[in-house]
Amino acid sequence: MKNLVTIKGTKQGFVLQLDDRCAYADLLKELKGKVSDSALDGITEVQLHLGYRYYTEAQAKEITAAVQDNSDVKVTTITNDVVSEEECNRRVLERQSETYVGIVRSGQVVKAQGDLVIVGDVNQNGRVIAGGNVYVLGRLKGYAHAGANGNKEAVIAASWLEATHLKIDDALESMTDELTMLSEQPEMECAYLHTNGSIIIDRLQELRFIRPEISTFKGGS
Amino acid sequence: MGEAIVITSGKGGVGKTTTTANLGTALALQGKKVCLIDTDIGLRNLDVILGLENRIIYDLVDVLEGRCKVHQALVKDKRFEDRLYLLPAAQTSDKNDINPEQMKELVTKLKEDYDFVIIDCPAGIEQGYKNAVAGAEKAIVVTTPEISAVRDADRIIGLLELEENLEPPKLIINRIRQHLMNSGDALDVNEITTHLSIDLLGIVADEESVISSSNRGEPVVMDPNNRASMGYRNIARRLLGESVPLMTMEKPNQSIFSKIKAVFAK
Repeated sequence: MKNLVTIKGTKQGFVLQLDDRCAYADLLKELKGKVSDSALDGITEVQLHLGYRYYTEAQAKEITAAVQDNSDVKVTTITNDVVSEEECNRRVLERQSETYVGIVRSGQVVKAQGDLVIVGDVNQNGRVIAGGNVYVLGRLKGYAHAGANGNKEAVIAASWLEATHLKIDDALESMTDELTMLSEQPEMECAYLHTNGSIIIDRLQELRFIRPEISTFKGGS
Repeated sequence: MGEAIVITSGKGGVGKTTTTANLGTALALQGKKVCLIDTDIGLRNLDVILGLENRIIYDLVDVLEGRCKVHQALVKDKRFEDRLYLLPAAQTSDKNDINPEQMKELVTKLKEDYDFVIIDCPAGIEQGYKNAVAGAEKAIVVTTPEISAVRDADRIIGLLELEENLEPPKLIINRIRQHLMNSGDALDVNEITTHLSIDLLGIVADEESVISSSNRGEPVVMDPNNRASMGYRNIARRLLGESVPLMTMEKPNQSIFSKIKAVFAK
C-alpha cells in the first residue's frame, strides 16, 4: 500500500505531506499511526500540507488534534493547493480596481471591494469607501475610507486632498484645526497609516517609496 | 405640450417660493401661459406672495382626491389676463396625503394646457420633495452664497441626478450681496458653481424690495427697474432659450457725481 503520509524536511522545517486521493478516514488513521511512531522523534513543530484536498474548518481542527493528541509535535500551519470559488472571487474583487466617474455629492456613498478610482470631486459629506486604496482624480473634500476590510497598507491619494475625515483600516483622523495636518496647497498628496497607528499625509511623489508594493507594473525600460 | 420645472433647494429660506412666484410672473409677462403648483402642503405661502390668498376655494389635495376638477382649483391671476394660474397647496392636510404617482399624472395633464408648469418644492428631502419632483422633467436648484445652503444644494443635486426622467439640474444663486463677495466674507459665484459643477442659470441680487413687494402680494419682477427683478427677468429669458449675459452686480444707479467721488477716493 502507498504511503499516505510522507515526512519532508525543508528549509522552513518539517512538512507532513498528506495524500490527497485517499479517503479522509484512512488518511486520519494513518496520520495518527505515523505521529505516534518513533519517526517524528526529535521534531517539535510540523507543517501540514494537504495537496489538492479541500478541507473545512472542522476538518482542520480534527487533523491538528490527530497530530497533537498522539505526539508532542505542534502543528504550525495547515496548507493546501486548493482555492474555493468563493475565496477566489473575493480575492479577485479585492485586487481589482473600480472606477466611478462623476461627483460624489453630499450624502452619497461610493463603495468598492478593491481599489477605488474616483474621476471627479468628492464633496463635503460625500463618502468613498474601499477595501483597497482610494484614488481621487479631483478634489477630495469629503470622507475617504481605505482598507475598509482590515488592510493597514492601503493609502488614500488625491489630486487635491482637503478631506474632512480620513480613515485607513480602523484609524480615523478628522481634519480639525488643531491638527492642521492639511497644507495650504494640498495638491497631489497621499495619506497612509504609519506603523505607530496614526495617519500621515505626504507628497504623492513619496508614495513609491512608502508603499512600493502598490505598483504592479512589471518590466519597461 | 409645455414643460414642467421643479424649483428646489434642500435648505429652507433660500427663496424657492419667491423664485417660483417671480419666474412664473416673468414668464407670464413674456406672453407664456404659466401654471404654478405649490406642493408645500401644510405650510403654503406661494398664494400669499402672489396676493391670491383670498381667492382660494379648492386646493391641490382636493384635486388629487377627486373632490373637484383641476380647473375649479386653479386660481387665475387677473393681472395677466389668462396667462398665470396658481394651484395652491392644502393647508389642512400634510405631505403624506399625496403620492408621487398622483402628482405625475396631474402635471402631465397640466402640461397639455400650459407652456410652463412650475412646481414649488418644500424644504427637505422627504415625501414633499419626492412629490414635487415626480412630475417634472427640468429642475432648478436655488441656493444662496452661504456654506450651509451650498451644502444642502449639493445634497439635493445628488438626489436629482438619480432621477431618471430629469434633465441635469440648473442653478440659481439668490440673495447676492456684492460687498460681502468682494470682501471674501461670502462665497463668490465662481466658487459656488465650480463646487456644485452644474450650469448656472442666473444670479439674483439681495434687495429689500423683494421682501416688501412679497408682503404686498405683487412679485418684485413686476417692477422693471429693480435689480432683483432684472435677475429674474434674465433667468426667464434664458429659460425661453435666449442667451443673456450674466448681469453685473455693480449698483447701476450711481450718479456721475458719486462716480467722480469714487475715483478721488482711491
